[in-house]
Amino acid sequence: MTLWRLEWLRLVRTRRWVALTFVYLFFGLLGPITARYIGEIVKRFGGGVTVSFPDPTPADGITQFVGNASQIGLLVAVVVAAGALSLDAVPEIGTFFRTRVPSLARILLPRFTVTSAVVVGAFALGTLAAWYETVVLIGNVPAGRLLAGWILGAIYLVFVVAVVALVAARTSSVLTTVLATMVILLGLPIAGIVPDVGEWLPSHLVGALDGMVRGVAFTEYLRATVVTVIAGTVALWAAIRLSSRRES
Amino acid sequence: MIRAKGLTKRYGDVLALDDINLEVPVGSVYGLIGPNGAGKTTLLGIVAGLRRPTSGSVTIDVPPSDVAVLPDTPRFDTWLSAREVIDLARTIGTNPAPPDRVDTVLNEAGLADAADRPVGGFSRGMLQRLGLAATVVNEPQLLLLDEPSSALDPIGRREVLDLVARLRGESTVVFSSHILADVQEVCDTVGILRNGRLVYQGSVAHLLSERTTPRYLVHLRTPIEPTIEALRRSDWVVAVDQLGPDQLRIEAASVAEAESSLAAVLAGARARVVSLGPEAVTLEDVVLGMVT
Repeated sequence: MTLWRLEWLRLVRTRRWVALTFVYLFFGLLGPITARYIGEIVKRFGGGVTVSFPDPTPADGITQFVGNASQIGLLVAVVVAAGALSLDAVPEIGTFFRTRVPSLARILLPRFTVTSAVVVGAFALGTLAAWYETVVLIGNVPAGRLLAGWILGAIYLVFVVAVVALVAARTSSVLTTVLATMVILLGLPIAGIVPDVGEWLPSHLVGALDGMVRGVAFTEYLRATVVTVIAGTVALWAAIRLSSRRES
Repeated sequence: MIRAKGLTKRYGDVLALDDINLEVPVGSVYGLIGPNGAGKTTLLGIVAGLRRPTSGSVTIDVPPSDVAVLPDTPRFDTWLSAREVIDLARTIGTNPAPPDRVDTVLNEAGLADAADRPVGGFSRGMLQRLGLAATVVNEPQLLLLDEPSSALDPIGRREVLDLVARLRGESTVVFSSHILADVQEVCDTVGILRNGRLVYQGSVAHLLSERTTPRYLVHLRTPIEPTIEALRRSDWVVAVDQLGPDQLRIEAASVAEAESSLAAVLAGARARVVSLGPEAVTLEDVVLGMVT
């Protein structure tokens, strides 16, 4: 039983991968339908109010998916990551691991890597579903731009898992880790309101998938990508350092 | 094996450990005893590297990979089977034992029948035995066991005590407990903690002999009054207490005088002796006297 297999079993046996995959897939399938039929939906349930919508563009299908996935999907990803990375949420389990490995990196890196892979995989499935349905219902979305947007979104999600690891190194429960991480992640866009700051922040990548299929240049996200990669790496390094120095 | 000098641990205003100087000999089974809140778990935590002392130092003669720790209430991810827990404990260490050790320790812990069941359904006693199995699977040189028998039924407790006794000479064991009979049975050295201070450290035998008073229990056929009179006339007898219709407790001025004269006095009084022996002093008697 390796620590890598342990993390795989955690996702499979606790069915956390199902929750993640379901959420992203659900919104991937729902987004383009909503974009395509929003007019009919409002007409049917609008109580006689007439609202005119412009004809949907292919980008609208992806926009709907990104809007939902960046909220509910992100929350589920944070919960799943916190469940794996809150090493001391049960102190006796923390003791079991801490007293057996020479470096906490041996424990945290598999947890970080496997969780990131599953989060990114679920995001990929959701993106593929949104793409397929958009093409079928609305129109073509350029695959190259979709792929580039997905990569930028995936980089942001890996950064999110690193932030969870950092927060978990200082908190003592899964719930506290989730709440503190969400405060940080929701605080970044607020900080981004400051002129010229937003395009440097990791939160700029949240809408990158949407932006790329709408024709925004890749270079528009370059600064945020560099900052996100550096910040994520630093967060993971700090998580290992802080966890190692922590008393249990 | 373990030397701690001037260990102090402070949590805010609370002094959990106060200038502890611990000496655990190689190969010994060291009992760390004291009432709740005395500092046993804190001291074990510092030795295990899980907590940092406020001041003082700890030296351990083996590398961290040869130290295994059992918390007082072991818990594991509930979706793992017992076999997976032991295999995980075996493989994540730096010196993993051969794979067949997994079944060996599961058998020794009495968990062979439950080996493939998720540990989420285990009782506290089963978790304690599983924790102990996970602790010994890689045959560490130093074991730090925090209350390892406290949650077990009499059979489980016996198995744990036998296992700890078997480790003597092969590994060094530090064994914290408030069940003093367990400590007296398996430990050769004890440290007694009270309010964060180490009030005694040394061999169990020395501690008991130091506190032994020359008292003897005698069980006689009735009538016993002539024997009481004869004992009270003896100048080496300090006190004679009648504990029941046919039982006496005799306190002598010294062990030597009692050993040379008691039998003669009983014979002179024509006492019909059913049994005779020194009143045993238990670790419980001694420790209660030291910590209360």
